[in-house]
Amino acid sequence: MIQYVIAGLVLGGIYAIASAGLVVTYRAAGILNFGFGAMAYLIARFYYFLHSQLGWGIVPAALVAVVLAGPLLGTGLYFGLFRLLRLSSPLVKVVVTIGVSVCIPPLAAVLFGTEPILRAPGLAPEPVQVFLVAGVPVTMDQLIVYAAVIVVLVVGAFVLLRTDIGLRVRAMVDSPAMTSLSGTNPRWVAVGVWATSAFLAGLAGVLSAPIIGLAPTDYTLLMAAAFAAVIAGRLCNLPMAMAVGFGMGILSSVLQFLLPPGSALTAAVVPSVPFAVAAIFLVYNLLRWGSVDENDGVGGALDLAITPQGAESLTGTATSAPPGGAARRRWSGAIPSGAVLVVVALLPLVLPNFWVGLLVAGIAYAVVFLSITLVSGEGGMIWLCQVTFAGIGAITSAQLASVYDWPVLLAVLAGGAIAAPVGLLIGVLTIRLGDLYVALVTLTFGLLMDHLVFSRDVFVNGGLGVPVDRPTFATDDQTMTYVGLAVFVVVAAAILNLRHSTTGLALGAVRTSPAGAKTVGVPVVRMKVVVTGLAAGVAGIGGALLAVVAGSALPENFLTLGGMVWLAVLVTAGFRSVAAALIAGVAFAVVPGLVLVNLSASWNQLPPILFGLGAIALAKNPEGFVLQNGRALRDMAMRSIGRSPAGHPRHPAMTTASRAAPVAEGPGPVRVATEGRRSVLTETGERP
Amino acid sequence: MTAHAAVRHPDNIAASPALSATGVTVRFGGLAACADVSIVVPQGAMVGLVGPNGAGKSTLFSVLSGLRRPTAGQVFIGGRDATRVSARARSRLGLARTFQQPELFTGLTVREHLVLAHRSRHAAARLWADLLVAGALRGGTGPEDERVDYLIDALYLRDVEHQLAGTLPLGTSRLLEVGRALATDPSVLLLDEPLSGLDEHEAEGLARTLRRVNREEGVAMLLVEHDVAMVLSTCSSIVVLDFGVVIATGTPEEVRTDPRVRAAYLGDEPIDVPDPDGAT
Repeated sequence: MIQYVIAGLVLGGIYAIASAGLVVTYRAAGILNFGFGAMAYLIARFYYFLHSQLGWGIVPAALVAVVLAGPLLGTGLYFGLFRLLRLSSPLVKVVVTIGVSVCIPPLAAVLFGTEPILRAPGLAPEPVQVFLVAGVPVTMDQLIVYAAVIVVLVVGAFVLLRTDIGLRVRAMVDSPAMTSLSGTNPRWVAVGVWATSAFLAGLAGVLSAPIIGLAPTDYTLLMAAAFAAVIAGRLCNLPMAMAVGFGMGILSSVLQFLLPPGSALTAAVVPSVPFAVAAIFLVYNLLRWGSVDENDGVGGALDLAITPQGAESLTGTATSAPPGGAARRRWSGAIPSGAVLVVVALLPLVLPNFWVGLLVAGIAYAVVFLSITLVSGEGGMIWLCQVTFAGIGAITSAQLASVYDWPVLLAVLAGGAIAAPVGLLIGVLTIRLGDLYVALVTLTFGLLMDHLVFSRDVFVNGGLGVPVDRPTFATDDQTMTYVGLAVFVVVAAAILNLRHSTTGLALGAVRTSPAGAKTVGVPVVRMKVVVTGLAAGVAGIGGALLAVVAGSALPENFLTLGGMVWLAVLVTAGFRSVAAALIAGVAFAVVPGLVLVNLSASWNQLPPILFGLGAIALAKNPEGFVLQNGRALRDMAMRSIGRSPAGHPRHPAMTTASRAAPVAEGPGPVRVATEGRRSVLTETGERP
Repeated sequence: MTAHAAVRHPDNIAASPALSATGVTVRFGGLAACADVSIVVPQGAMVGLVGPNGAGKSTLFSVLSGLRRPTAGQVFIGGRDATRVSARARSRLGLARTFQQPELFTGLTVREHLVLAHRSRHAAARLWADLLVAGALRGGTGPEDERVDYLIDALYLRDVEHQLAGTLPLGTSRLLEVGRALATDPSVLLLDEPLSGLDEHEAEGLARTLRRVNREEGVAMLLVEHDVAMVLSTCSSIVVLDFGVVIATGTPEEVRTDPRVRAAYLGDEPIDVPDPDGAT
């Protein structure tokens, strides 16, 4: 037992360090860093590269990787990225950090190679010494973790509470505006905070390598577990978060001791501990505080006063509030959207079979992406488990079609019908908590489903997935493409209808001013819940369609971390436009094919890097490139026919972004859905 | 124009007030932003709420509109206890408000603001039903169009009718806030510093409009405003808050001469209505 407590203290210590790294940047910069796990992985991988691949000694490798490269990474990310997010909406902040987490693993593969790593050494010399403490074996690695936690705690507390720097940091957390007025440059404090956070990420990463290995997904899981501790600390309470981090580590370890070893129950329960902790604290916070306002404690009165008012609470930023023309032309987006649709519809007739095979999958992705268009574009929320709903739709339809012999298209609809109530339920439980919690809870829910449901043998079916046959009339890719397009058109039309209806007006009101919406009698929470239900249903249908296209419902295609890439791809194109969803879906399926065919194998990390960079580019261009370039094209067309475009009070940031994104010439399939080369498949004037 | 609501609506004074609050207390930790505040807005009356910065005016407003739950005390709308009624449901009871920092829907046009506000009061089912029908093809009903057009003209919004609210200057934003509130056909309207940030011309226009709406539609108003001259010349009764406590209530004349008000809020200088500079 005591042995398990000691092991638990190690895991808990790592959780505590990670949660400290997360809380620090949230409190000081208002950014909940979903890229923290990836940063931890990058530093750990760098340490392995120096120590094991280049043969450096432990001390120089650790110094260079953790003490030097970690803070440098943080500083670089601050200047290159996080600095730009100061006034961005929560949605943009979350998506940009997700872009970081999508980008880093393939980048690490490019930098350090892709050979599988079976065992990663920690900071202890090999072979790892084992001491007996009161009869219990304790490894040198474990001792180093204890020492690291104590050093972090003591040094952290001393710096924060006893030094001038700590005073400035605490002042800046309370009110950046007042602090800068009193002569402290918030930028240097912010650099320090990001450097510290990245140092803690690196430390947690290197310390956990001997325990969890060196796979990027495991680091993101580790970070997700640390999120539970962060939730317990209501995002801001550092000591509470660290204490709960410790507690979770010990609890996981002791449960492992108490439950029967090697049983399915143990395998299910132990990884679920952080998620259970998160759920318990969410419920507790809800009961204790009524609601959990993530803006509590961030900034002072002056900061609130100088925060731009009227920016969309989620989807807009200070720089993007009134995009588009001063006057709106109803349905003006329909014609260019239709043009995109026609181009995609013509592709199967002209493209070789290989590309049609990719295209048909792309259209199924596009249907799933429409669920993100709904929940983020219309509902103004960040849901990180749309992929899970897609997975639910896929495995449901596969079971119904293959095991119960339902007609396959009916089974696809049933997939949506099963996913929708799940979405509704999560919406009911979380929306009241506030937007950041929605993101955290949906991430947690997705990971939990990965663990508990998507890994079950009945769905995995020996790694093949449960087979689904295509409808008898659409066994070839070409016909299937049109079936998929038909589904896409129906869903897209429903979204456009919603957008222009009273419901859409009300959602627009809820997105931009919840307080204003309430006072004119719009039921804010209920509106959002309905959108989440609809979106989950759409995701379910899209996921089922993906299974039909692929011929089987393979749960590993629907893991939460993969869903982050989907989100990155969609927001790159634009989350307010149905045409962008179509472009994003096709790009997601076709771009890797283009890289595969045209470039050597060493380039196959390029697509994920580009997708991640696309999401990161959101920091500069929150609307996505489709709307951006669409508007530029429309204005150009208007000018060429001698009409001046409607007055655009366009912000410099937006024009910079469109300059940075030159429009490629000529029609054809989307090449690369990120900065630099952009598609001309655009639409204009859709409701911003 | 200085006629008092009490004179204009003598019959309504006896009826249950449009809005009232008794013993409202709001504590933030050890600080009482409002302590045992009681206030009455009779039907069709214009009541002013004044007090120095930090007196608790905005806190009281958020309690009255249901965005904040008081630590103690009760709120009545049309004589009905609404203390535990949500902000949304209060709008159905006939309460509307504007915000000091305009809380407009930046992605909606001016007209859409009014349409949405009108529908959420009069055709709430459409918030959901439009999902299922081709909502975009269904315009407004006759009365809705009529009301919206009336408000657009009354508030001088015709030129910007189809502009996105995010592009409007502050003065127009304030007009739109008032229009959105009136589109819900309220019986009582809370106005949080409607004139702040407006130039003299705009302020004069909005004040005139408010008086007209009060006169023609009988909408009761509770007005927070720093422009004391405007409050004194517009309102039939005035409540003065200081440090979360009501220190005076009465007609403009009574408040103007109240020594506690002079001491606590206005300094020792007597208030001179025609000279706004001396009053602020």
